Amino acid sequence: MAGWRGSRGGGDGTPSDDRIASSQTVRLGKVQPQAPGHRTVFCNDREANSLAKYKIMGVVNLFMGKRKIRYIHSEVNHIESQMIAWVHDIEVVASWSGDSLQWLLLWIVGLKGALRYHLLGFLLWLRTSEGNSVSTTKYDVFTFLPKGLFEQFRRVANLYFLMISILSCTPVSPVSPITNVLPLSLVLLVSLVKEAWEDWKRFQNDMSINNSNVEVLQDWNWVPTPWKKLQVGDIIRVNQDGFFPADLMFLASTNPDGVCYVETANLDGETNLKIRKAPERTWDFVSPDKVSEFKGEVQCEQPNNSLYTFTGNLIIDKQILPLSPNQLLLRGCSLRNTEYIVGAVIFTGHETKVMMNSMKIPSKRSTLEKKLDKLILALFTVLFCMCLLGSIGSGVFINSKYHYLRFDTSEAQFDPDHRFVVAILTFFTLITLYSPIIPISLYVSVEMIKFIQSTQFINNDLRMYHAESNTPALARTSNLNEELGQVEYIFSDKTGTLTRNLMEFFKCSIGGEVYGTGVSETEIGAAQRTGVKVDAQKRSSAASERGFNFDDARLMRGAWRNEPNPDCCKEFFRCLAICHTVLPEGDESPERIRYQAASPDEAALVVAAKNFGFFFYRRTPTMIYVRESHVDKMGKVQDVPYEILNVLEFNSTRKRQSVVCRYPDGRLVLYCKGADTVIYERLVDGNPDLKRMSREHLEQFGASGLRTLCLAYKNLKPDVYESWNEKYIHAKSALRDREKKLDEVSGHQYSQPNIKKFQVAEQIEKDLILIGCTAIEDKLQEGVPACIETLSRAGIKIWVLTGDKMETAINIAYGSEVACKLINNGMKQFVISSETEAIREVEDKACHTSRRCFSHLGDQIELARYMKELVKNELKSCHEEAQKFLHMDSAPKLALIIDGKCLMYALDPSLRGMLLNFSLNCTAVVCCRVSPLQKAQVTSLVKKGANKITLSIGDGANDVSMIQAAHVGVGISGQEGMQAVMASDFAIAQFRFLTDLLLVHGRWSYHRICKVVTYFFYKNLTFTLTQFWFTFETGFSGQRLYDDWFQSLYNVIFTALPVIIIGLFDKDVSANLSKKYPELYKEGIRNAFFKWRVVATWAFFAIYQSLVLYYFVVASSKRAINSSGKLFGLWDVSTMAFTCVIVTVNLRLLMMCNTLTRWHHISVGGSILFWFIFVFIYSGVALPNKEQENIYFVIYVLMSTIYFYLTLILVPVAALFCDFLYMGVQRWFFPYDYQIVQEIHRHEADTSRIGLLEVGQSQLTPDEVRSYAIMQLPGEKSRHTGFAFDSPGYESFFASQAGVFVPQKAWDVARRASMRSKPKTPRTPRTPRTPQRN
Amino acid sequence: MNASNPSSSAAGAGSADSTAPRRNSKRPKYSRFTQQELPACKPILTPKWVIGTFLLVSVIFIPIGVVSLFASQDVVEIVDRYETDCIPEPSRNDKVGFIQSNQSKTCQRTLRIPKHMKQPIYVYYQLDNFYQNHRRYVKSRSDQQLRNNGSLQETDACKPEDTTPGGAPIVPCGLIAWSLFNDTYDFTRNNQILNVNKRGISWKSDREHKFGKDVFPRNFQNGTLKGGATLNPNLTLSEQEDLIVWMRTAALPTFRKLYGKIEVDLQRDELINVTLENNYNTYSFGGKKKLVLSTTSWLGGKNDFVGIAYLTVGGLCFFLALVFLLIYLIKPRQLGDPSYLSWNRNSSGH
Repeated sequence: MAGWRGSRGGGDGTPSDDRIASSQTVRLGKVQPQAPGHRTVFCNDREANSLAKYKIMGVVNLFMGKRKIRYIHSEVNHIESQMIAWVHDIEVVASWSGDSLQWLLLWIVGLKGALRYHLLGFLLWLRTSEGNSVSTTKYDVFTFLPKGLFEQFRRVANLYFLMISILSCTPVSPVSPITNVLPLSLVLLVSLVKEAWEDWKRFQNDMSINNSNVEVLQDWNWVPTPWKKLQVGDIIRVNQDGFFPADLMFLASTNPDGVCYVETANLDGETNLKIRKAPERTWDFVSPDKVSEFKGEVQCEQPNNSLYTFTGNLIIDKQILPLSPNQLLLRGCSLRNTEYIVGAVIFTGHETKVMMNSMKIPSKRSTLEKKLDKLILALFTVLFCMCLLGSIGSGVFINSKYHYLRFDTSEAQFDPDHRFVVAILTFFTLITLYSPIIPISLYVSVEMIKFIQSTQFINNDLRMYHAESNTPALARTSNLNEELGQVEYIFSDKTGTLTRNLMEFFKCSIGGEVYGTGVSETEIGAAQRTGVKVDAQKRSSAASERGFNFDDARLMRGAWRNEPNPDCCKEFFRCLAICHTVLPEGDESPERIRYQAASPDEAALVVAAKNFGFFFYRRTPTMIYVRESHVDKMGKVQDVPYEILNVLEFNSTRKRQSVVCRYPDGRLVLYCKGADTVIYERLVDGNPDLKRMSREHLEQFGASGLRTLCLAYKNLKPDVYESWNEKYIHAKSALRDREKKLDEVSGHQYSQPNIKKFQVAEQIEKDLILIGCTAIEDKLQEGVPACIETLSRAGIKIWVLTGDKMETAINIAYGSEVACKLINNGMKQFVISSETEAIREVEDKACHTSRRCFSHLGDQIELARYMKELVKNELKSCHEEAQKFLHMDSAPKLALIIDGKCLMYALDPSLRGMLLNFSLNCTAVVCCRVSPLQKAQVTSLVKKGANKITLSIGDGANDVSMIQAAHVGVGISGQEGMQAVMASDFAIAQFRFLTDLLLVHGRWSYHRICKVVTYFFYKNLTFTLTQFWFTFETGFSGQRLYDDWFQSLYNVIFTALPVIIIGLFDKDVSANLSKKYPELYKEGIRNAFFKWRVVATWAFFAIYQSLVLYYFVVASSKRAINSSGKLFGLWDVSTMAFTCVIVTVNLRLLMMCNTLTRWHHISVGGSILFWFIFVFIYSGVALPNKEQENIYFVIYVLMSTIYFYLTLILVPVAALFCDFLYMGVQRWFFPYDYQIVQEIHRHEADTSRIGLLEVGQSQLTPDEVRSYAIMQLPGEKSRHTGFAFDSPGYESFFASQAGVFVPQKAWDVARRASMRSKPKTPRTPRTPRTPQRN
Repeated sequence: MNASNPSSSAAGAGSADSTAPRRNSKRPKYSRFTQQELPACKPILTPKWVIGTFLLVSVIFIPIGVVSLFASQDVVEIVDRYETDCIPEPSRNDKVGFIQSNQSKTCQRTLRIPKHMKQPIYVYYQLDNFYQNHRRYVKSRSDQQLRNNGSLQETDACKPEDTTPGGAPIVPCGLIAWSLFNDTYDFTRNNQILNVNKRGISWKSDREHKFGKDVFPRNFQNGTLKGGATLNPNLTLSEQEDLIVWMRTAALPTFRKLYGKIEVDLQRDELINVTLENNYNTYSFGGKKKLVLSTTSWLGGKNDFVGIAYLTVGGLCFFLALVFLLIYLIKPRQLGDPSYLSWNRNSSGH
């Protein structure tokens, strides 16, 4: 009875919801069953765990997938509570391991008495034996059919055909069930086989993972055991390069200091190593003998899907050690640079964090597909009208005067006394008869086409293959191919997308003095704008080392000692060398060392320190070793160890990073680097000159397109530090609300718009002393300006959304030969900036008061109101001016530049409309200093507000939200981590490949899919209409014109293949011409090929053709058809008509082709040929049990007459005559652009192949050759994530000290973790991995 | 790898070197399929092609049209509509009553041969407003029963004409057979009987495969309601050619059926006397009945439609070819004129 009620009351008093809310603000996927409280794991003690595991408290609501079962008992006794715990626990498994178990469980829970008890016990046993095995399959043997079919029938078209099939089994139906069942089952079969195949692959993957071995401690020995046998609490050993089989608590490693290195590529695609550190108390549990003595109890949170959080305590000998993500080794990661580690299993199988994260990426549907739905809806309306017409006709027609039809009351459908019933029943008859008007195979065909397009064409395009980074393009979804052909707005990130994200230390300002003589690319561009010639060639030789492109003799080789501020210089260099989270790797010599950094900026800064003579060469968890030169006197080199006391890490909201270190002589210093805005807020009063000068320099750097950081330091008094540290540690070890508390201690940000949070408890990052600032250059990617120009010629508007400073952004965007050609001098620029004097003044005032007295929030609100008013006025005036320009002839193009703060107010619902109206008139829009959320907001503003098709392209974690918000998300793979790629729909290696992706693949796909869809529409309408005309001559009885088999095979066999061929191979102009005439793309933006007008044209021709097809055939077979005087019957006429339909629609397809490959001929010829073969066999064989032998011998009778051949020539020609005339006139008098381009280049062969084989080196301009040469410099590849101010995706070793909360990422982690290419067994011996270059 | 490599040619060479031996290269393999460069011809519908195609069609179609029209013109066809005339004047107010009565339905018609008619001359009857293609009608038959003596009982589809009230199967069952046409025609020329050959009027495939040689009519037209002709119970179904012809249901409500063949030539202006038994009730639904005598050409019966259609399409094509040619000569469109491109047009237009 002490059971769960008692312990629920215990624990931590605070409501559990609070904790969940604080640690998991972003929740994606389905709701995890979240048992409140915490879980206890007994390490190295299997029996204890099997009991302990079920001590789950407070579970009353049981979630069963989506169904929620309330399980309340008025009196809960011990057994019941135990059972509830089981149910919860089993349920966790059930929700993952497929539905059959879930259904079983539902059934069991519904039972009563002892049986339930035993069954639950059995399931409990099952659950324990399941252990660490995982299943990522969608179906199992039992659920495949029901679940798979259910999935299929969620498509409206399939459901419709199911209903038609059912209808066709009733006597109402004019056709035998086969007519509708056959195509439906073929379509279903294709889809199900595809599903089954994919699931089978998943299953095999699971099996190979579940059966790979890991060493488990059993009886003082390491025993190889399959992963699936692992259980919570087991002690295991993982060797170098092995994968962690479950979520482990890190106990010990062979490395000194109890650290190990972890690669998380499977989780988030990042390849840089992370450090994990075992609790000091357990460091020596390395050998099996030692570990066997280990007995500990882990109290931790319930399994959840937050990859970057973990709170728990390890209790050994009644000592409580706090556990953090730093001690957690996640399943799916792999061990690097460590011989082996020992860990205790905490979460297994589906409870591991990586599996809890598994969910589907919400699939996007293309606009064209949505429009297709409307077309289908229109077809339904047409169908309804046709049926209505027919049913009215039948009601009128029915009359007992037709004595030979014997209308009487025996059959309700032919009862002349109840005309209304007759009409209603005939309505259903006709629906069945006309059902082919809805193209059943359309969706399957389009899906297949798109799948091949993306996997074969986009993924394999050599033009989009980036040789330097060895990355081909990757289409991650195949839904959006044609959407690529209609993009009107591109939202682009700047860093790493437009630029290379190859950071080079370029300039700096120390103590008010600027150092660095280089000229940035942007400056060259700016100079060229004004007409000054700059020798660009000189610069490339200046780059002596990657990450360091600095040339100023005043600072090099100790010369800084002679500068006016040598002390300042020293602090500057030390700050660079100490304040970072970089890991050194390799030999401890300046030439050979390599730095592993979370962002290229950081690495560049450390490299700079090395070049200045402050060589950081070793890091331990508590120390940083720096080899300092020329400090005391010239030429002297000494190794200085600094003790690192605290690291307050970067994140995108803090925008700064601090390190508290202790000098060997005991001096306590806090070094801080960060964005100028946050640093300036925290500077100590005084020294205004330096501040002013530095600010000037910052602006100057920004104007040169450089990325700036401010450096500052602060000497700490030991007592101040101690008191702060105490609170800090206290907050760190709290099991609950750790993040919040840590945040308060380290100092909450001012810039948060949420004023309520404005509560600074205590801070250490304040009263800093400014040292100087750094400037890092990030060069433009190859081919970006040309690409942007091409895209804007294609009618695509490019918006740059960047976190950079306004000056930097403008300069990058400015039109010149080097920088992007977004803005040029001819444009009218509108700048809405928060960096005006007026705002600054109000801001300062607000800041001032608020820092002195925290309760004065009024000023902040005042500031917000003021800002909003200002932005509103600004927008209004801009808008008015823009309107003026719009009505002018030869108006200049408009450009809008807005910064994040103003954007925040402009995105306010009341101003949003104005912003949208105005910005849509602009040809270029640059938003700077925007947050990831604002990027997404801007994207959806245009997507939803203006209803334009948008594309977002970015490379970093900060672009993920924007990528997901847009219609099409493109990730740049390569330089930064994989987060953007994982969230994207398409991944390319370079920005310039966007031209190929959009102008070539997108445009082709759009053209093809349009053709496929309209053709499907046409061929089914034509076919059905012939049927419809016939209905008028059968007394509206719904008699079918065609044989059942003809009708059922029409869609799936006789006309199926050619349309797929056209969807794959049709090419209006070649790839090169597509890029040479980017304007062709505008046809896609205007949606020129799938407008209602186009559909109406097709519908018109379908009607015309069906009339010709039906009446010509009928009219020509009215009389005797050969010299023997015999006549055709119904089935002769119908077979002839069907032959004509097949020939006509297949020829029509040939007419709409722009290119004819042999596949076209084969498929079209094959389809017609197949029809004849089919009908020869079908009508030649008299099946003994054939229901109706209407068709028997018909084709032979037909072919014995000359009429047949005359008709076969006449009817298709007459039917296609109008189409041909239309096409001729259209091309002659109203040609499409692509047709003109075809004509211009009609004599040229496709020459692109030659260029492809050589990856197009020959046509490079000298400038491009130069930039290509720079690309070839050694050690190019950065493998790290995150611009210094972007939150790194995976919280690193240091992050725990800052308590950074990283929001959930929305990509499918588990899928990739479980789908690695080949299973690596941990036991395979491996050569120590040398960190890869290239 | 050394520090820098400024020369462009060396960079190019270097990249070639580095790509070639690199293992794990993800470089897609070149294939014409994946690079979408399959050899293809690119037909462009230029004016020449348009004119050429139209000319070609007219050149082919017009001769065919002329030939088939001539063939159709060669055919001599006599159509005699008799359903009203064959009812005695007093009964014309109540045609249905007359046809259902037991009065004598014999009727005399005289046909004048307008042109020499070469044998064989085919005798057809033509019905109008008769929905042989009605769904209820079309399905009301049992093919198994017709073909196979063993399948007498398979009359499910034949309702309401499936069994006798006693439950014995009707052979042939169904509405189609039940409503078998029963007007008869006898021809005399100069009081000399013209033989009407009723053999070989059905399709051979029907006769041999669809109607069994061992199936005899049973219980046919035994009910109170008689739909039409009776069958000789001593002849197998495969020999009942009238039935076979009738049961190849027509596609349209107006249709002809072959009645027989007259195998002598008929001379111009000869008078043919037809003695017809006007038994079949088309009066209740107002259907017309016609007797048709027709010769055939190599193409078949008299059907101008095909010839006219060919001539029309061919003529239209010829006309259009001329029109396009004229436009082409007067105001030719230069192929691939960049000024036609929309962006060039727009920039000048606005």
